[in-house]
Amino acid sequence: MSSFFSRCVRYRPGILALCYSFATLLMFASTTVHAIPAYARQTGSACADCHAGAYGGGGNGPNLTPYGMRFKLNGYTDTDDNGKKIPVAGQLTETHDAPARGKSSTDLTEADLYLAGRLTDQIGGYVKVEANYAGNDTYKTQLSNIDLRFVAKDLKLNGKDLTMGVSVNNSPGFDDPIAVLPAAVNLGPPGGQGPTGTFLNESSANSPADRVIGATVYGLYDKDWYGEVGTYNSLPTSTQDHLGYSISGDPGKISDTGYFRFAYMKDLKRQFFSAGIVGLTTRRQLPRTGPADDLTDLGYDLTYQFLGNRENIVQVSYVNILEKRKYGSTPVSPVDPSLVALPRGALHDENLSLTYTFKQSYGVQLAHLQSNGTRDAVRFGPYGKPDTTANLFTVFWAPFGKEDSFTSIANLKLAATWFRFTRFNGVTDNIFGVPLGVATTKPGDLNAFLVTASVAF
Amino acid sequence: MPKLFLGLSAAALVLGCALASRFAHAADATVGADVFKSECAECHSPKEGRNKKGPSLFGIVGRKAASLPDYKYSDALRGRTDWVWTPEKLHGYLSQPAKQTNPGTKMKYDGLTDAKDLDDLISYLGTLH
Repeated sequence: MSSFFSRCVRYRPGILALCYSFATLLMFASTTVHAIPAYARQTGSACADCHAGAYGGGGNGPNLTPYGMRFKLNGYTDTDDNGKKIPVAGQLTETHDAPARGKSSTDLTEADLYLAGRLTDQIGGYVKVEANYAGNDTYKTQLSNIDLRFVAKDLKLNGKDLTMGVSVNNSPGFDDPIAVLPAAVNLGPPGGQGPTGTFLNESSANSPADRVIGATVYGLYDKDWYGEVGTYNSLPTSTQDHLGYSISGDPGKISDTGYFRFAYMKDLKRQFFSAGIVGLTTRRQLPRTGPADDLTDLGYDLTYQFLGNRENIVQVSYVNILEKRKYGSTPVSPVDPSLVALPRGALHDENLSLTYTFKQSYGVQLAHLQSNGTRDAVRFGPYGKPDTTANLFTVFWAPFGKEDSFTSIANLKLAATWFRFTRFNGVTDNIFGVPLGVATTKPGDLNAFLVTASVAF
Repeated sequence: MPKLFLGLSAAALVLGCALASRFAHAADATVGADVFKSECAECHSPKEGRNKKGPSLFGIVGRKAASLPDYKYSDALRGRTDWVWTPEKLHGYLSQPAKQTNPGTKMKYDGLTDAKDLDDLISYLGTLH
């Protein structure tokens, strides 16, 4: 994202407003949800059985309950065995956007179609198609997340329960059951400069989210031990275009990609905790005809949930991902020929999130998002620093989606979110490095206050 | 001597009844409602006619096993034609893994080992009428 801002300023200062719009779009992306009324109809459960908040979490807000994690692990196939249900759901989101700079607006920002549910006892999935507001009363349709699964349940290994499955998905980490990795929450740090933060961070520019396709094999052993390995390939740019994505966000040509995830997850009914590690290694050519960079991501995550009797739920998660980069080229600065890019670098993303939910209807979330990396004067203009720090504050109300609600299979959520930047491009003032005499931009100028109303049915 | 023995026996009986009554009243349905929410509610509804992955538990105490007409029970439970969900039966069933007491059941539950929680839960289930 920052790279986008830098290009705006460096090459076309007049379109700064467009840059702000881009930041706002990222925030819109953070408001999408994964709670699907089709799943509620399929299982007879309420949304609040799988999600700590009765509208679900997804972009921000409460996370999955342990029961929701099991539903995901079972390939979205669990059912109440009460007839065939149509695995279709929809969502509409109206947003009032009040950016720190620029005009406020109120629009129907997103209309979503979900194909989600079970096909057979062993095959199920999640497919989201979204139409995002593109300005001037136009919408852009995109194929968002997909997660198609084949699962073998009720297996035994050494006398212990074993679930094995295969997931075909388009974002490394999206299919994760604990659902705190950046791809699963759409809540990564807003990224630094160039293709940063880490490759696993969906908020990074040129991230793989929705633009790759891969398969992973996963297993849950003895209810507590989760393991997953897989590989991904980026979609051709023509396919990305057909799926509704701008070519400028191409993650590049990736090859020799390996992904793994291991976690210990303990469901104590009234409490839950997990500890996991995640890794990804790939060779990336960006641009596709250019030299290949070697990227290696390694991260860990810790979560805790106090669930109690579901009246007062507290969820805490911490994700820490380090990326090592070995670049395929060391370009010279076009501005200062005496500067040469470093051959290696590192990027580092950290997310800390705390959510409190009362009666699964009222909630508040606080999140601290931080991204930083090795200083490189050529790769990360204007200051050579990719560091970004941001905070997210959300309050929400979801009156339905519980068993005793007016309806438990359709839903409404009202939310107010304040997205706040405190550091951008490694600095706290003049973040785009404009010369003296030109109006500067502070990180706070990227802040935005959003009020959203979402309905799912 | 026989009179003394008779008297002691009567006293023991009264005391035993009093203790049993006290024990019975110690089970707290209000607390049991919370136990239900954390242990059972994801798969079972306390509402009449509402089945989830598991059948509705409305009226469960005293109900014949596998007897709800609109729920698809496992063959394993349908074969238990002699089971009635009395408090005692529920106590035995819920205190250990479901697959142990009824191999082949769809129910995935490891059992509730906390005796107080179990008493409270069964007390709460008894209120679902």
